[in-house]
Amino acid sequence: MSEIYDIGYRHYDGPRLGPGYSTRALTLHSLRGVFGLGRPARSKIIPFALFVIMLLPAVVNIAMMALAQQRGIAYSGFAVVMQAVVAIFLASQAPAVVAPDLRYRVLPLYLSRPVSIVEYVSAKVAAMTVALFLLVAVPLTLVYVGELVVDMPGPPATGEYAGALLMALVLAVLLSVFGLALASFTPRRGLGVASVIVVYLLSSASVPMVYGIFAESGNESAASWAWLLNPFWLVDSVQSWLFNTPPHSIEGTYPNGPASAVILVVLIGIGLAALALRYRKAAAR
Amino acid sequence: MNTVVAGITYRALLGRRRIILLLLLPLALIGLAVLFLLVGEADQDTAVELMSKFAIGTMLPLLGVIAGTGVIAPEIDDGTIIHLMSKPISRPLIIQTKFLVAASLMAVFGAVPTYFTAWLLIGNEDGIAAGFALGALVAGIAYAAVFLLLGVVTRHAVTIGVIYALVWESVVGGFIPGARKFSIQHWATTIADQISASPFLRADVTLSFAVPALIFVTVGGVLWAGLRLRAFSLTGDE
Repeated sequence: MSEIYDIGYRHYDGPRLGPGYSTRALTLHSLRGVFGLGRPARSKIIPFALFVIMLLPAVVNIAMMALAQQRGIAYSGFAVVMQAVVAIFLASQAPAVVAPDLRYRVLPLYLSRPVSIVEYVSAKVAAMTVALFLLVAVPLTLVYVGELVVDMPGPPATGEYAGALLMALVLAVLLSVFGLALASFTPRRGLGVASVIVVYLLSSASVPMVYGIFAESGNESAASWAWLLNPFWLVDSVQSWLFNTPPHSIEGTYPNGPASAVILVVLIGIGLAALALRYRKAAAR
Repeated sequence: MNTVVAGITYRALLGRRRIILLLLLPLALIGLAVLFLLVGEADQDTAVELMSKFAIGTMLPLLGVIAGTGVIAPEIDDGTIIHLMSKPISRPLIIQTKFLVAASLMAVFGAVPTYFTAWLLIGNEDGIAAGFALGALVAGIAYAAVFLLLGVVTRHAVTIGVIYALVWESVVGGFIPGARKFSIQHWATTIADQISASPFLRADVTLSFAVPALIFVTVGGVLWAGLRLRAFSLTGDE
C-alpha cells in the first residue's frame, strides 16, 4: 500500500529580486574576493599589503606639503609612478576573481540561474575595475584632502585631481578587462598570475628601450609612439591630450592628438571580445 | 635523479599553456634584438643594455618563477603530489629531480636565447655573448632552486616570486647599492663581467662574493626544499 504524505513543501511567494539583484550580488562577492574578505587571513595579506604600499607615497606627499610646503608626486602622474604596484595587484588578484569558478566548474551553476554570460562577465569586470579604481583613487583622495587641510599657497589643484580620478577609472577599466581576459585563459591561479605579469613586464621593460633606440637614431616622432605600448603610459597620454597635463613618460613626449584615445578604446574592445569568446567556450563545457 | 619523475614533470610543463609563457619571453628578447638591428643601433652599448636590463633583469627572474614554481606548485595545488609522495622514492630525490628539470628548462629558454641574441647583435665581440650566456645559465640555475623552494613553502609562490623579482631585484637593487650584493641578477652580471672584456659592462659585486653566494643559494634552496617536502602536509586552501 502506498500513501502520499504531505511533507510540508511550500511554494515561494516572496518578492523575486530579478537578474539585476543577482548581478549586483555577484559583483559585491567578487569585489570582496579581490581583497580576500570572507576568505582566510592568508588571502588578505597580499592585497592589503599592496594597498598600504600605495598609501605610503600619499602619506609622504602630505608630510612634504605640511612641513616643506612642497608638492611631491603630481596627481596626474601618480598611477604612472606607482605602476609596478598596480600591476602586481592586478596580476595577483585578477586570477582570484576568475580562476576558482573555472577550476571548480561552477560556471554552469551560475548560468542555470537568471544570470547570463554577459551579466557574469560584466559583474567580474566591474568588481576588478572598482578594486583597481580604489587602489589608485584612495591615495589620490587622501593627498587631495591633505592639500585642503594643509592649505598650500595658491589655489588647490582641483581640476588636476578630478582629471586624475577620471583617468584612474579609465585605467582601471583597461587593466581589469585585459587582466581578466589573460587570467581567464587558465583555471590555475599561479599560471594566471604569471601570464598577467609577463604581459605587463614585456610592455614596461621593453618600452623605454624601444624609445631610446628610436630616439638615438634621430627618429623622435616614431619614438614617442613607443610609450603607447604600455597601458599606464597610454592612459597618461590620453590624460595629457584631454587635460593638458605634462607627460609623465621617462623621457620625451607622446604623439599629439586623439590617436592614443582611439588606441585605448580599441584595446578595451579587444579585451572585452577576448573575454566574451573565452566565456562562451567555458560556458559550453 | 629519477627518470620517470623527470618525464612526468617535463610533460606537465611543456605539454600545457605554460610553454607559451616560457616561449614568449625569449621571443620578445629576440624580437627586440631584431628591432635594434633594423634601426641600425646594434653596438656594444645597446647590447649590454639589452642583456643586463631585459635578459638578466626581466626575462630570467620571470622564467625562474614560471619554471621553478611550475615543476611542483601545480601538483601541490591539485593534490596529485600525494601520488608521487606515496611512492618509495625519497622526497629529497623528488626535489632534486624537479630541480634538474627546472634548471634544464632555464638553460634552454634562458641561457641559449641570451647567447643567441647577443651574438645576433654584436657577434662574439669582447666575449659579451659568452659572458652573458654563462651568467644567465648560472643565475637561471640559482633562480630555479630559489623558486622551487618557494613553491614548496607557500601556495602563493608565484605572487611572492613576482614581488621578489620586481621589487627586490629591480627597484631596490636599482636604488639602494647595498642591496645589489644580495641579488641574483647582479651575481650573474659579475660572472658576465669576468668573461667579457667590454668597457660598457660594470659589475657591482666582487667575484669572490658572487660565486660562493650562487653556490650557497642553489645548494641551500634544493636541500631546504627537500627537507620541507619530507615533512609536507597537504592542507586545504581557500
